[in-house]
Amino acid sequence: MPSRQASARYSAFGLLRRGLTHRDWPRVWREHDLAPAYDAVIIGAGVHGLATAYYLAAKHGFTNVAVLDKAYVGGGGSGRNTAIIRSNYLTPDGVRFYDRSVKLYESLAAELNFNVMFSQRGHLTLAHNDGSLRTMRWRAEVNKLEGVDSEVIGPKEIKRLVPFMDVSPEARYPIMGALYHPPGGTIRHDAVNWGYARAADALGVQIHQNTEVIGIDVRAGQVRGVQTNRGPVSAPVVLNCTAGWASLVSAMAGVALPISTHPLQAAVTEPVKMFLRTVVVSGSLHVYVSQTDRGELVFGASTDAYPSYSMRGSLEFTEELAGHVLALMPSIAKLRLLRQWAGLCDMTPDFSPIMGITPVEGFLLDVGWGTYGFKAGPVAGETMAELIATGKTPQLIAAFDLARFAEGRLVGEKGAAAVGH
Amino acid sequence: MKVPTSARRSAPPPEQICRLPVQPGELIERGQPLSFTWNGRAHTGYEGDTIASALAGSGVRIFSRSFKYHRPRGILTASGLDPGCTMQVGDEPNVRAAARRLADGMDVRPQNVWPSLRYDVGSANQLVGRFLTAGFYYKTFMKPQRLWPAYERILGGFAPGGRIPRTAEADYYDQRYAHPDVVVAGAGPAGLGAALAAAQAGARVILVEEEYELGGCLRWGDAAELALLDELRAAVDASPDIEVLVDSVVAGRYDDNWISILQRGLARVAERLIKARAKALVVAPGLIERPYVFAGNDLPGVMLGTAVRRLINLYAVRPGARAVVLSANPEGDAAVADLRRAGVEIAAVLDARRGEDVRRAVGGSGVKAVEVADGRRIECDLLVTSIGWTAPTSLLNMAGARPWYDPAAARFRPGDDLPEGVLAAGGLVGDGTVEELVAHGRAVGAAAAATAGFGAGRPPPALDVRTHPALFRASTHGMVDFTEDVSSQDILAAAAEGYDSSELVKRYTTATMGPTQGKLETVNTVAVLAEATGRRIDELGTTVWRPPYAPISLGALAGRTHEPVRHSPMQSWHEAHGAAPLIAGAWIRPDHYGDAQAEARHVREQVGIIDVTPLGKLDLRGPDVPKLLNLVYVNKWSKLEIGSVRYGVMCAEDGVVMDDGVTGRLGPERYLMSTTSSGAAAVWEHLEGWLQTEHPDWAVHIAPLTTYYASINVAGPHSRELLARITEGVDLSPDAFPYMRVRTGRIAGVDECLMWRIGFTGELSYELHVPASYGVHVWQALLERGADLGTAAFGVEAQRILRLEKGHLIVAQDTDGLTKPYEAGLGTLVKLDKDDLVGRPELVWQQQLGEQQRLVALQPEDGSIVPAEASQIVRGTAIVGRITSSRFSPTLDRSVCLGTVEVALAEPGSVVTVLLPDARRIRATVMPELAHVDPEGRRLRV
Repeated sequence: MPSRQASARYSAFGLLRRGLTHRDWPRVWREHDLAPAYDAVIIGAGVHGLATAYYLAAKHGFTNVAVLDKAYVGGGGSGRNTAIIRSNYLTPDGVRFYDRSVKLYESLAAELNFNVMFSQRGHLTLAHNDGSLRTMRWRAEVNKLEGVDSEVIGPKEIKRLVPFMDVSPEARYPIMGALYHPPGGTIRHDAVNWGYARAADALGVQIHQNTEVIGIDVRAGQVRGVQTNRGPVSAPVVLNCTAGWASLVSAMAGVALPISTHPLQAAVTEPVKMFLRTVVVSGSLHVYVSQTDRGELVFGASTDAYPSYSMRGSLEFTEELAGHVLALMPSIAKLRLLRQWAGLCDMTPDFSPIMGITPVEGFLLDVGWGTYGFKAGPVAGETMAELIATGKTPQLIAAFDLARFAEGRLVGEKGAAAVGH
Repeated sequence: MKVPTSARRSAPPPEQICRLPVQPGELIERGQPLSFTWNGRAHTGYEGDTIASALAGSGVRIFSRSFKYHRPRGILTASGLDPGCTMQVGDEPNVRAAARRLADGMDVRPQNVWPSLRYDVGSANQLVGRFLTAGFYYKTFMKPQRLWPAYERILGGFAPGGRIPRTAEADYYDQRYAHPDVVVAGAGPAGLGAALAAAQAGARVILVEEEYELGGCLRWGDAAELALLDELRAAVDASPDIEVLVDSVVAGRYDDNWISILQRGLARVAERLIKARAKALVVAPGLIERPYVFAGNDLPGVMLGTAVRRLINLYAVRPGARAVVLSANPEGDAAVADLRRAGVEIAAVLDARRGEDVRRAVGGSGVKAVEVADGRRIECDLLVTSIGWTAPTSLLNMAGARPWYDPAAARFRPGDDLPEGVLAAGGLVGDGTVEELVAHGRAVGAAAAATAGFGAGRPPPALDVRTHPALFRASTHGMVDFTEDVSSQDILAAAAEGYDSSELVKRYTTATMGPTQGKLETVNTVAVLAEATGRRIDELGTTVWRPPYAPISLGALAGRTHEPVRHSPMQSWHEAHGAAPLIAGAWIRPDHYGDAQAEARHVREQVGIIDVTPLGKLDLRGPDVPKLLNLVYVNKWSKLEIGSVRYGVMCAEDGVVMDDGVTGRLGPERYLMSTTSSGAAAVWEHLEGWLQTEHPDWAVHIAPLTTYYASINVAGPHSRELLARITEGVDLSPDAFPYMRVRTGRIAGVDECLMWRIGFTGELSYELHVPASYGVHVWQALLERGADLGTAAFGVEAQRILRLEKGHLIVAQDTDGLTKPYEAGLGTLVKLDKDDLVGRPELVWQQQLGEQQRLVALQPEDGSIVPAEASQIVRGTAIVGRITSSRFSPTLDRSVCLGTVEVALAEPGSVVTVLLPDARRIRATVMPELAHVDPEGRRLRV
């Protein structure tokens, strides 16, 4: 539990008292001058960087830490994703890893004293042909063996969960079944970022916004610190927690990564009254959709086919998206798309992240999160914090090391992660 | 008039008590009254009214309740952006009632109200508003976690917006491609000028106007302005090169002037999305009037100057009885004149240019009085503010330009960092009289035409900006974002908590995230944030405007489906013969014709034919085809003889099996490659990718021929005899046409048919590729001429049974995203001693590392049990493999499987445990060969 003055704790009572006294709440995180040295520097104030900082401080008493971001807290992938949380992966390693993340998310609001609105409303992955139905069964069987709640359900049960869904055999892409994962759901992504930032700040971690890393100092195979637009900082440990620019940041330390960066687009509609209470994913139709508590439908798709650092939306994305959403729920044609945006995804050859040590001593990686980084924020933070504090790679992330690409030990999540949200 | 059935007959429609005598520019047709219902009660209006103007004409003041506090809301802008005028019309939610034209019989209802607009239970939220500050939900409901779903249901109940129907009549949506020279977005004075000048220069122009009429602010102008509008409109009408779209909007600008236009108002078409590749885009949306922030600024009866000018001049609606006006500009002064002319008593005019100001608007369900900064309290039912403007730079931002804040003009202005072919005109750029705006539009239009290749290009002149007082918030706090119920206090509180940048304050308070996407709210949000942080507006900057410019329906974006179902030419035959459909991606195929087991048995015993048209087929030509084949297939291709076919396996760069198929050599430089049905498109892209990016010097031409041919596999012991009856010019004897050869000949009178002797089913079989238009002919010829041989059609399911009996794998079923060729029984094919090979580094490693898993044939000990595909093979609770394919074999009268297992368990005779989805555990034995039937391959080679 973060140490914090009782009056600064968030609660219904606090809201009431401050409502009566008109006193402002204290700052959610403070501003600091950049110190010349820290015990560790974390690059990127997204969910991974902030969670790592929080667990370093909360679990290991490691508080002389700076989190640097070139813009603002949660402004990259952590604030652009569609905030779907699940653990129904394909490989036992993947299931165990993401299940730990779901468990951490379940208790996160209470732990951080910040309501992250984790809504375990259930998660459906549709199968439109016998091949994908077979994959769903595969995932369900592996999930069950790992103690994760997943089952294959038929069109009737899908209709019961999503009354707006067209489950008729005449549909353009008939729905043959689905993988149903009750603990899956959505979360308020900004709240997770802010909650970690606030809790880390309360424990003494310094968060520096508008602080861009422009160089990484390496001497004799050991990292020594970073250069920023606000001056140099020395540190024996530098952790790259960036997404979208992970390969460019690592290149500053002379570490090449097998990453290609692709835009991933998303869009949101105008609000309407609640009609969709589960998360719906269709891999065949390249779409996933959920309805927020504000009534908006949030859509995502697969990554753009070609690598790019551009974060512009395209018309074609919205056309294909709309066509496929209407193939699933034909009666919502009058709903209007309000806004589209894009984020950047660092794709690795095996659709699995790169976590742990590099050939440069002290320069660590938590990158390559493709389209599924937000789901893993807490568990990545917890394990990276353990690595920094103990110097030992936790078993849970051993399979995700950088060396696997040079040693032919790829991880097999491609099947579950390609459009799996 | 149609009388809506839902109207309460007992209550006659209210009189239109707020209608004025005929106004010079009015749009309503007084001779055409319309009837509709509002909130269940009968109402009337006129043709030409908007829903909101008709209601205002009848004296309605409350139009909706706000999202969070359920505060009553009335007309604010009287335009499409009006935050108080969002309504449910029939089954359409979120209709902009101040922009949508009234139609006879409309069923119009307010949103966010329960149980009624007047007595709304949710308005109790107002009482506790001081505790429900922005982001309050982040600070409570945290414990216990198990109660969060209940909290969430309550919060979700407050979701704003209308209702979407569960079933709806399928509306017709359309799409169109256009290639205009110039698109002009906005048909106010500048847009009209631009369209005319561009057309005069010879350009073909599409002129797009969001409202139902051309003219913009000219429509509510004085006599001279109305005369100018008539003149401009006549010129536009007379120009054959200008296509006019009203009730339509330029929704997005994407790379290279790829422009999306949402068109409405077409007969029998709900909406149409026009996708235009324009040589030039002129952005001329004019300016949006900015609301003022003060206590009570969202009360019904608080309106913008442009709103009262619209109501009076366009719809002959008197917006109130007694008004206070706060004016900071000539448009505000004109509103005062309009109000006077409409007979509204002017209680006070406060001139903001002289420092006069309002403090608060007072009232419950509407304005009753205004408190002025000097302490006076003035009774009134209407408070009009004209305090400044917002430049809607959205389309320019989509082209990459960043807006900059001009303190003198007190608004953000478009940057001049525009790409070529994107121009801004009129009020968006600067201020001027209407004549000056038209002239500016003309100059920009001429420049746009020049960009498109018509006439001489001259850079358009600058348009001056007049100084404007910087007015954002009065001395009190009020709404900044009306649709989101975000007040200036919320923004100050958020900034004090550290959410103190434009992006963070937006995300934390949700200001600017509602349906207007910041067009009304952005500048006030930034201004209040500047006040809170002591920073300047230009330091803070705005958040990024993202597409679309205006909300666009999913129906219009989807259009008609462009994903037609694919089927072979023989599909009508399959349907006529009772085929059960199998959906396989884009294709529909016959799964079986009644009894797949019998079909499979029939093939083993006699002869069957199957439609395999979806099989991918690529025609490869050129001297360098062998190089390409050596690159993409793991095996060697340099010595393939003319007339031979060979099985090949492709790996992706990660060394994982991606596709398989046979390729035949038809001539010295001509090959035909077959791929899996599902991999056809991906393989074509893969080959083109390597050719175009890595080996552009190779002389290879690829043509996809998948649907050029109808493909029929003839399989079974009698297949040779059957084929001999209808084939000419090919010697079918085993010596002349052995296994793995290809021949070209005449089948059933059709020339240029290809015949491959291959055998996926494990039987003697021939794959025929005949020109698609003869598919049905050849199919029927086979059945008729082979009737006495027992020739019968078989479907995909029987084929799957047969291939599984034979142990032939299916890529992506018996392999997965990690399967190495060495682990799928394909290792002997891999030849690493080639010049190059896609995935070779990985394959070299694989060879060194050895197998971890192996694909094997399995037979359950209890042959009556068919374990579901994807059943896991376990040791205790550890996963050691899985069943990839399983069927009941009619040939062996038992279940047969393929599966992957850890190498240690892969030895023939080893017994493994299979965990079924119903949690039963069964035992299965690993077989010596992948083939359950005829492992020696004798049946293939007869």
